[in-house]
Amino acid sequence: MKAAFIRYLPLVLLGLLWEIAPRVGLVSTLALPPLSDVLKAWLRLLEGGDLWSNAAASLYRAGAGLLLSIVIGGALGIVMAWWRPVHVVMSPLVELLYPMPKSALIPVTALWLGFGDGSKILLIFLGCMLPVTLGAYNGARGSDQALVWSARSMGASRLRTLWDVVVPSALPELLNGARTALALSFVLLVSSELIVSRKGFGYLIGFLGEGGVYDAMFAVVLTVAFLGFVADRIYQRLMKRVLQWQE
Amino acid sequence: MSRGASNGASAVRALLGALGLGMAGWISILVLVAAWEGVARSGLVTPFMLPAPSVVLDRVWTDAASGDLLNNLGLTLYRALTGFAIAAAGGIALGVLIARNRAVRWFFDPLISIGFPMPKIAFLPIVVLWFGFHDVSKITMVVFDAIFPVVTATIAGTQAIERELLWSARNLGANERQLLREIVLPAALPQILTGLQVALPIALIVCIVAEMTMGGVGLGGAMITAARFADSPGVFAGITEIAVAGYCIVKGMERLRRRLLVWHQEALAPPTV
Amino acid sequence: MIRTGATNAASQIVVDAVSHVYRPPRGREVLALQEVSLEVKSREFIALLGPSGCGKSTLLYLIGGFLPTRDGSIRVDGKPVAGPGPDRGIVFQHFALFPWKTVRANILYGLEKLGLPRAEREERARSFIELVGLRGFEDSYPSQLSGGMKQRTAIARTLAIDPEILLMDEPFGALDAQTRSLMQSELLAIWERSRKTVLFVTHDVQEAVYLAERVVVMSARPGRVKAIVDTNFDRSDPQVFKSKMFIEKVDEIWGLVRAEALAYEAMQKESR
Repeated sequence: MKAAFIRYLPLVLLGLLWEIAPRVGLVSTLALPPLSDVLKAWLRLLEGGDLWSNAAASLYRAGAGLLLSIVIGGALGIVMAWWRPVHVVMSPLVELLYPMPKSALIPVTALWLGFGDGSKILLIFLGCMLPVTLGAYNGARGSDQALVWSARSMGASRLRTLWDVVVPSALPELLNGARTALALSFVLLVSSELIVSRKGFGYLIGFLGEGGVYDAMFAVVLTVAFLGFVADRIYQRLMKRVLQWQE
Repeated sequence: MSRGASNGASAVRALLGALGLGMAGWISILVLVAAWEGVARSGLVTPFMLPAPSVVLDRVWTDAASGDLLNNLGLTLYRALTGFAIAAAGGIALGVLIARNRAVRWFFDPLISIGFPMPKIAFLPIVVLWFGFHDVSKITMVVFDAIFPVVTATIAGTQAIERELLWSARNLGANERQLLREIVLPAALPQILTGLQVALPIALIVCIVAEMTMGGVGLGGAMITAARFADSPGVFAGITEIAVAGYCIVKGMERLRRRLLVWHQEALAPPTV
Repeated sequence: MIRTGATNAASQIVVDAVSHVYRPPRGREVLALQEVSLEVKSREFIALLGPSGCGKSTLLYLIGGFLPTRDGSIRVDGKPVAGPGPDRGIVFQHFALFPWKTVRANILYGLEKLGLPRAEREERARSFIELVGLRGFEDSYPSQLSGGMKQRTAIARTLAIDPEILLMDEPFGALDAQTRSLMQSELLAIWERSRKTVLFVTHDVQEAVYLAERVVVMSARPGRVKAIVDTNFDRSDPQVFKSKMFIEKVDEIWGLVRAEALAYEAMQKESR
């Protein structure tokens, strides 16, 4: 308990600084509203319902896109590792697309599907697929040949072996790729909502900013940042649970 | 085969190898592009949804000829690379300090641990509030995002130095400053470079998003303008330009790493693909 | 040829009732050395011998100034040890070569720190590369060298700065048996030519008896000086390993060490 307090003490100190500095005039209260004002604004948003409706929209989009990217990206990675022809076709594409900034997909998805949920889900699906595919591919490639042969010798068909041996072997690296995808999904979500959206966290931040309601804007920014952090922590716990069998 | 022709073939092979993909890889790409062209022309999709590669490349060419490409690409690269350079220098210095000083480490540890998984792009409106719509904001955002992987990699690299290396250097007469410059940094270099290799694409992504949000000149801004004007070839041209730029930068970084780490026994690039 | 005693009778290194506590980042602290006292004369070749964990390396590091002496005192040439320095050169078991520097650059490093003029540095480096038999490998990186070659580089690097005292921490421990015995003879040959005070840490009794004039046997943790055995005899005889005197010495010392090694094992079992 004490250790945790000492560990996070710098944050507490920064919080204090945030409260004091604008109040004593070190920085303008417009540029940096005092922490207490931000918290009050946050509560107001919570009561008013704005935060909930926009949060729901954002989380729905990110969740759907992420789920699709993990399932399809994971499957693709495993198939690429398992069947040579698929690998030959897909791998140069993967190598070319890896360094491309995924945010470049924002205009094109907006072009195709407009300002609504669809474009965001598509964006996150496409953008987040790559880390998952790579993780699944590397994980499946690394699956122990001895395990595969054991399964086959016990009568498992190729497909059965794929499901029973390769997929679990690939799981750790796949899940690691999914963790990267999780962080990326937040980034793509917020980015696209800042630019081409009519609801969601990013939209709300922009809206509040343009309206000059800076304390509320700060509140939403912190909310998103915090959610990203919490999501990662929760994911890590889940990963540990799923991968319990690993030493 | 005559000597000239066989020399030509091996030269082509060398060039393709230098570009990073084997012959088989490039053939595969060509096939995919041809398929794209076919689908676009077939009428299965509207030219709005998926302009043909010939149209897109033509657009890239026009942009290049008019100087627009250079303008936009140059500006984006300038912002991204400036931010990257600052993040690199600052990140390495901070990382070394954190690794070697307990008080500094205590202060920054929760900041890094919490800051890393945060979508830092959410802070863009705040940065704009503080610094306006100029390059400063974009570069600041890039630094904010890109500095994290550099710091963590530097910390890891510095802490992993075997103490006998440091002891030997001191034994041979090195003082504190020389130790830092001549021993600590080179020893931590492999991991620092890995951190830089992670930070570079991040710098590009963040810069593009910042440009899209703020509009104006730059590849990001140009692409968003094209989208708003339903200029589909423009959007795809932008994607192509960024993809190529990103690819070249990443490959360039890999080469640099191999050159700098010629002495490293692993000589492995970090997992990029 | 029997080595005569040191020409300088006064002790060069005086270790006086030194104790050392090892504080791991996690877990309880451990008494590594307890009231160790030792005197080493100039140009002597001493072996520090003992089971694992007896603190022999710790003692070396204290003399080298890499660890601070908090309990007791260590004096070199009459002055207390204040930190590492080129007067006490060190060679580690795992070579500690700078992997980003070539063989030549590694050897030049200490010479640069000494502030010697360029021509002299290059010449010295060249002669030491020659001395340890690494001619032709000056521009290789450590990752390209075998274990024996790496250790030769490490030795050359330390010898190049011409320290009066040579501290060697199980320098041949990471080498295969054949390379090891080769290096032992070479080390003796080098030592014959340029007499330095050598403190040689090892857990190999034969190695200690072969190389050293005196063998300091240390007890299991906490380390104390259990016995000091004189092993100064004629080493020019190539059959020395089979000579009666040699075998008797090894037996005698092995008996002393064995008791300590068993005690150490018992301690390990207890702590489980």
